[in-house]
Amino acid sequence: MKKKIPLALVFIAGVSGLVAAFVPHPIVKAGDEIMRNDVLRIIQSFAFILALSSLVSVHTSKIRTRRHKWPYSIVLLASFLITSVIGLGGGVSGKGILPTQIGNFNFNIQTIYQNVIIALSTSMFALLAFYMASASYRAFRIRSFEATLLLSAAFIVMLGVLPIGDAISHHLPAFAQWILDVPNAAGQRGIAFGIALGGLATALKIVLGIERSWLGGGGA
Amino acid sequence: MKLFETLTRIDRRIIFLALGGLIIFSLLFPRFLKVRVFPPVTKLYEAIDKITPDKALILDISYGPQYQAECEPMAYTVLRHAFKNRTKVLALSLYAEYLGLAKKVLDDVIAEYNRNATSRADSLIYGRDYVFLGWQPPPIIPILGMGESIAGVYQVDYYGNQTDTLPLMKHIKNYNNVDILVALGGGTGSEKWWAQFAQRKFGLRVGAGCSAVLGADYYPYYQSGQFTGMMVGVKGAAEYEELASSRANITAERVASERMLSLTYAHLIMIAFIVIGNISYFVTRRKK
Amino acid sequence: MIIMIAVMSALAPPSGVKAYDTPGDGGSSITIEWQLSPDDEDVDGYEIHRSTDNVTFEKVGFVGKGIAQTEDKTKDIERYFYRIAAVRDTARAYSPSHGPFSSSAQWFSTTMWNVLIGFIVSSFFIIFYIYRARKGRSLFIRKIAGLSAVDDAVGRATEMGKPILYSLGLGQIDAIATIASLNIVGEVAKKCAEFETKFLCPTFDPVVYTVSREIVKQSYSTVGKPDRYDPNSVFYLAASSMAYASGICGIMTRERPATNFWIGSFGAESLILAETGAAMGAIQIAGTDNVTQLPFFITACDYTLIGEELYAASAYISKEPLLLGAIKGEDFIKVIIVGLLLVGSVIGLVTKFQILSLFK
Repeated sequence: MKKKIPLALVFIAGVSGLVAAFVPHPIVKAGDEIMRNDVLRIIQSFAFILALSSLVSVHTSKIRTRRHKWPYSIVLLASFLITSVIGLGGGVSGKGILPTQIGNFNFNIQTIYQNVIIALSTSMFALLAFYMASASYRAFRIRSFEATLLLSAAFIVMLGVLPIGDAISHHLPAFAQWILDVPNAAGQRGIAFGIALGGLATALKIVLGIERSWLGGGGA
Repeated sequence: MKLFETLTRIDRRIIFLALGGLIIFSLLFPRFLKVRVFPPVTKLYEAIDKITPDKALILDISYGPQYQAECEPMAYTVLRHAFKNRTKVLALSLYAEYLGLAKKVLDDVIAEYNRNATSRADSLIYGRDYVFLGWQPPPIIPILGMGESIAGVYQVDYYGNQTDTLPLMKHIKNYNNVDILVALGGGTGSEKWWAQFAQRKFGLRVGAGCSAVLGADYYPYYQSGQFTGMMVGVKGAAEYEELASSRANITAERVASERMLSLTYAHLIMIAFIVIGNISYFVTRRKK
Repeated sequence: MIIMIAVMSALAPPSGVKAYDTPGDGGSSITIEWQLSPDDEDVDGYEIHRSTDNVTFEKVGFVGKGIAQTEDKTKDIERYFYRIAAVRDTARAYSPSHGPFSSSAQWFSTTMWNVLIGFIVSSFFIIFYIYRARKGRSLFIRKIAGLSAVDDAVGRATEMGKPILYSLGLGQIDAIATIASLNIVGEVAKKCAEFETKFLCPTFDPVVYTVSREIVKQSYSTVGKPDRYDPNSVFYLAASSMAYASGICGIMTRERPATNFWIGSFGAESLILAETGAAMGAIQIAGTDNVTQLPFFITACDYTLIGEELYAASAYISKEPLLLGAIKGEDFIKVIIVGLLLVGSVIGLVTKFQILSLFK
């Protein structure tokens, strides 16, 4: 029974989603929209509460047991608490019950997002350039025919997108564009076919109850 | 021989330092590089250039801060180009958290344009020449809903005005009154949604602006004609700036073109390290 | 006045107006088509007028010149009459009115016939091979290096006394890659439970967190070691991609896992994760359905599952015949697709038949 109810629910939800894709009738569409927009959002909201309690639990346990680098957990919990209070009390543009401005110093949730989250996200993204350099130095060695092909294509595309590539040869940018337009697009389409079919098979297996490892404890 | 062995195992910190140093140098001594323009960007430019006075351009600014460096120059240049031709513009974002970025671009371009205006007729007036629709959840619903009525989906704009009271919205009802939509999704994938839903169902023309990482993913859409044109990464933005400068005589700062110098140095240093690594690898392998 | 009459009489109206219930929709829509006015080049556009009594008409739409079709939003119970007016400045040239027409909701979207046929054929073969496997037929599946290495990877972590880090990616619960990863995390957790290796699973999405927590807990119970399960081994980390990446980098620097699994839906942060893991000296197995991130994983990881290898993983690891049967079905459909592509390409190149119209 413990497994039969979730399997039945998955079957009903899967089949109703499939029917809604082909049946445009308003009765069917209304049901589908309730599932997608309302039910999913409600589940996500409750799951979010569980997830936050997990976050707090993990870091509280780290602080209590003084595990390696536990002061960072204090920083995390303090940031979480302060931002939550400011966001919930101060409102989106500082129009809440809690004042979020002292003189010219503004600390509402939008300001925190612009000046902290955006700055940190952009900095993390900037790391990609450095990691790409070190990864390509380490990985692009001519060990085999395929590696040589990969390296040659990488060189041509890297040079082709630059003005210097055009200076080296007028054909280089066009060749680089051809690599992106033809072999790259063809390879991507091939992988996309496989992914689409794999996705269909996985979805069928789950809806029909053949794949049950998501339930925990067993394959089929 | 020991040198070559060392060169096969260069510490990644040296690579980071070399790359960082060159990029800082390029930022301290900026120079913009002229780029050759390719058909995907040219087609997008021409599509925006040919928008008739009775139609509007919708600009979807849905890139996050991590894609801001690549997509923001696209937004600036497209808006400058559109306003130069006095094209009506509707701006929106499919994500609430990116509204701030969208507003920043709009405010900057409007202020820049109006600084040179000599009268009210010359200026860009909110509600008459452009509207900032803001955001409506979830992403797919507004895409589908605007096919019937834009004011129906965005009943109030970003500033809280009733959309159907704005002069511009009296003529721009739905996608029939929109010539092209330019989706700057960065890495969010919103460009694909516009093609899959708005274009497929309503025949809306879609242009895309995306991060260089995702450009490879979107070439099939361009080749099949689902995207009228495409800007990919900083280079795509630089190409659009080149067209805007040479054809529309737009003289504003060419941020993406300046960033091409940093990109050039980064690519060259990576190529240099790869070559050094491979030469050392061959020499040490031969000796063994 | 005379000039105006002359102008008005020179404007030719559109003709051949016909309307019908818009096919394959949920109702409330009538499609109107007409033949363009002979003066189409000179018109501003066309107005669509509608009436319920064929006497009093109201304007309900406007389209530009050159357009000969539009859809009108209607009420299903009403009957409508339509006429089209060619418009030039204030001049109007009206077509005769036609009707009555009414709209209704359909029970099937006729534009989806090809999708339905494709779905039925694909599903048939998948289910056919699943049930063939049920009859005991052994099925060959080629070696997938990344999946063969899972046992060795877990063993390496156990020997070194270091944890295993498993990331389910940044997808939500409805992403197929996330579901595929959930199918694999249970198997990996079972191996960790058997060898008593520390298991860390930071998650991105709250719903994925709750599901993966239950899967891992159940895995420990299945191998008979429920007391070894650490509730804090599966935890929620962050809902922002870069925050998630930086959190995992911090975990890798502190915990120094011997093995990293990057299996799910990843974005730009994939290289940050994989390269940091490589710098830590961990063995890394990655799999994603996001083709743009595959090159980064291939460059920085030891093993990468490409495309549908990710979806085959749970079948490969568990060796369950029914799951292997589904893979066989997928392969058969791929053969059909390749055949159709070849035949379609030849037809499209050699004949004048518009082969692509079959797939629109």
